[in-house]
Amino acid sequence: MSEARYIDELVRQQWLIPFFPLVAAAIQSLLKRPSRKLSATLTIGAMGLSCIFALRAFFATLGGGEHTEVQRAIWNFTWFKFGNTSLDLGLILDPLTAGMAAMVSFVGFWIFVNATGYMDEDENFTRFFCFLSLFAASMLGLVISNNLLLLFMCWELVGLCSYLLIGFWYFKPSAAAAMKKAFITTRIGDVGFFLGILMLYWKTGTLNLYATDGTGALQQAGSLVHLAGWWGLSAASTIAFLLFIGAMGKSAQFPLHVWLPDAMEGPTPVSALIHAATMVAAGVFMVGRMYPLFIAEPGAWVMDFVMWIGCFTAVFSATIAVAQFDIKRVLAYSTCSQLGFMVMALGAGNLAAGQFHLLTHAFFKALLFLGSGCVIIGTHHEQDMRKMGGLRKYMPITFVCYVIGTLALAGVPPFAGFFSKDEVLLATFQRNRLAWGLATFAAFLTAFYMTRQIFMVFFGRWRGGDKEHAHGHEAHEDHGHGHGHHEPHEVSWNMWLPIAVLSLFAIGFGFFSHKFGNYLGAQEGEAVAGKPIVMGLSIAVGLLGIFLGWLVYGRKTMEHASDPDPLAVNLGGLFTVLNRKWYIDEFYEATVFRFTAACAMFFRLFDKLVVDGILHVIVFLALVISQIFRGVGDEFFINGGFDASCESVRLGGKVLAKLQSGRVQNYFRVLSLGAAILLLIYFFT
Amino acid sequence: MNVSLEHYLMLTAFVFAIGLCGALSRKNAIIVLMGIEIMFNAGILNFVAFWHYKYFVSLTAQVFAIFAISIAAAESAVGLALVIAVYRHYRSVDLDEMRSLKG
Amino acid sequence: MEIAFWILSAITVMGAIMAISLRNVMHCLLSLILFFFGIAGHYFLLHAEFLGAVQILIYIGAVAVLIALATMLTRHITGEEGPREVLGGKWWAGMGTAAIIAGLLWAIIRKDALARLLPTEAANISYTALVGDIGRALVADWVVPLEAMAVLLTAALIGAVVIALEEVIRKR
Repeated sequence: MSEARYIDELVRQQWLIPFFPLVAAAIQSLLKRPSRKLSATLTIGAMGLSCIFALRAFFATLGGGEHTEVQRAIWNFTWFKFGNTSLDLGLILDPLTAGMAAMVSFVGFWIFVNATGYMDEDENFTRFFCFLSLFAASMLGLVISNNLLLLFMCWELVGLCSYLLIGFWYFKPSAAAAMKKAFITTRIGDVGFFLGILMLYWKTGTLNLYATDGTGALQQAGSLVHLAGWWGLSAASTIAFLLFIGAMGKSAQFPLHVWLPDAMEGPTPVSALIHAATMVAAGVFMVGRMYPLFIAEPGAWVMDFVMWIGCFTAVFSATIAVAQFDIKRVLAYSTCSQLGFMVMALGAGNLAAGQFHLLTHAFFKALLFLGSGCVIIGTHHEQDMRKMGGLRKYMPITFVCYVIGTLALAGVPPFAGFFSKDEVLLATFQRNRLAWGLATFAAFLTAFYMTRQIFMVFFGRWRGGDKEHAHGHEAHEDHGHGHGHHEPHEVSWNMWLPIAVLSLFAIGFGFFSHKFGNYLGAQEGEAVAGKPIVMGLSIAVGLLGIFLGWLVYGRKTMEHASDPDPLAVNLGGLFTVLNRKWYIDEFYEATVFRFTAACAMFFRLFDKLVVDGILHVIVFLALVISQIFRGVGDEFFINGGFDASCESVRLGGKVLAKLQSGRVQNYFRVLSLGAAILLLIYFFT
Repeated sequence: MNVSLEHYLMLTAFVFAIGLCGALSRKNAIIVLMGIEIMFNAGILNFVAFWHYKYFVSLTAQVFAIFAISIAAAESAVGLALVIAVYRHYRSVDLDEMRSLKG
Repeated sequence: MEIAFWILSAITVMGAIMAISLRNVMHCLLSLILFFFGIAGHYFLLHAEFLGAVQILIYIGAVAVLIALATMLTRHITGEEGPREVLGGKWWAGMGTAAIIAGLLWAIIRKDALARLLPTEAANISYTALVGDIGRALVADWVVPLEAMAVLLTAALIGAVVIALEEVIRKR
């Protein structure tokens, strides 16, 4: 195995993948006059180039035939040295990285194409594309990184771009609040992440994950298991736990999930790219990358913790999604729920299942978000589903693609989501039956709320021209009362082409599931007991969810925008609780925020009274001393003395001036008198 | 009696004093200049007297006396030109009136 | 020769006293000329004949005439006799001069002090200083002071002309 492999050569060119978008972002940021065509061309072109390189790397890792060991190529280099230690960074090319890079660049490319249509009327077009490029560079840098420090830097950069893009319309107060919330919440998770990094460096002495001489941090996982950590865990599991806290923040797991729904304030392409396909997946990816640490100690509670967090998030978010009215909010909670699925799979011990679900989810969630973007543009910036309806007549292409995405998400075979979700459920089933039961319930809810959304948005009557209060009249199509809504229309080609391409993948990607495990080099290949039960039950709950959705929402669609939700009628108070997101935000407000505000108030008072008080006392003393010096020393002695001496000089001058009479003869007289005196002195001595 | 050096010295001293007295007390500028001339002559006579009684062979004193006379002449010329210029301004040669440099 | 000395001394002293005490400036001038003659006589008496001639030429021939011209140029239109004031009021001028006289006379009386400064033997007065010798001395030993003197005289000449000339130009 010592011959130079093709991927060893390729890994040295890995840096090109994030390089192109980075250059595009840099050029755009330095332009003096913003140019829409140039921005869009640069961003999409750079992403296309990255896609080509990523796909080349991906195909190289596919290799051929049977590999007993994982194809992995590493390139570590020194960033800078200080003293004897040096700080290294590294790039890696292995199946996990290649798959992620290919997915990010490919999906990102089509999202960018869609964004040219979505942001067409916005005046900050060029700023948007610059930020998008920067994000793409950071995300791609994150996935190719072999070094925890580089990964963390890209992690933070991705968070920054998310902040900038969520608050793209910063002049809206809700957007400004959302951008801060996102950044701060993920920051809380990053505290754990950083602690994990520090501990790893402390215990292993390196931040490189893999190294050619076997000293990589992950390669030392075996020895880390024998070192003691905290809370009754080994060092490896402690580090894994701390790193998972970071993943919880980034991937919006309970209780750090609160930022993801609010992040929908950003433009829809941002939601599609960052908060569905890529950035939120970074947490899951990071856990996958550090997986050797997680599975090093089989009996530790970390894996169970991960699984239960994922399971709870999945169910929790799915219940909330049922009662939302904003088209993007439904999808946001759906993302949260699906991330829970991925995390649960990782916690159950199956990296391949979780990672595969990540990839398929990226495709169909991006598809759904872009589709919702098309709907929003097509209905002239309407986002409330109650004001939509019947759109399948007006936007057929969007409708078809959206349905494909929904079916994929609901887990209906033969769409991609069925295969990946099935793998996840199987892994959970083998681990813990209760968790599997809850996950199946979440899958049912997923199918239900997506069907609800389909019927509310695309079927029935177009409710967009309705007035606010129920009247019963049919609104005119082109002269709506008060709102002036005219008919929805299909979107331009640069908006529906991406979703068409993505829907192809949503259909066909699932067939790679059985190859994916081998591709990743996963160990498990034993016969899976219970596979028929799981598969059968997951299909059943999916169809049940769709049926119930049709029953409640499809048989009798909403007539007017102001009609109550049929579910609300039946569930009453529970519906309100779900709609208000189980009042989590209010709970945080009452506890965490109040406490922080109280601390801030305390410190402010302390500063004002104590610190400023001391300052005032010192100033007062200084003033008193200075007054004393001024009065006694300066006025009396210095000024007075000076004045007196000046006065005496003046008087002396006045006296002496009398000698200058201006009369020459007088001068002569004085001269001769002086000479006489001198002579007398000379002759008398 | 023999005229000795002392006689000449007394003479020149007396003449010098007279000249000085005149220069100090007259208010006419021209008479002041005359007094100065008298002082000059007394001094030069002193030199020549010493030369006669002590240094007879060396001619240094005579040469010096010639120079001194020339200088005195030049000085009186310039002084009188000044007096004329001042007269044009003040319309008098009264030294008591010229006190504009009083300070 | 003592008689000559005393007569000449009398002329000199009288001339000087009158020069400073007469009221009329012209009278003062004439007594000044008398004084110059007396000095010239003393030079002749002291065997400095050339010097005596020079004295007459320059002092009487040039300086006195100059003083006369200046007096004539600066006369008041309305008579020239001011109030009589011989040493009047300026009592300390007289005192000063008295002090000087006293001091100098004292030095003379104490001739030991003076005698220490001078060569002890009397001079040989058989040698007569000829004009040629003086001329040779001027040009050979004292040529630098001679030239300096020439420059000085030129400067004085130009300076005097400039000082006295200004008004004329300004009047035009």
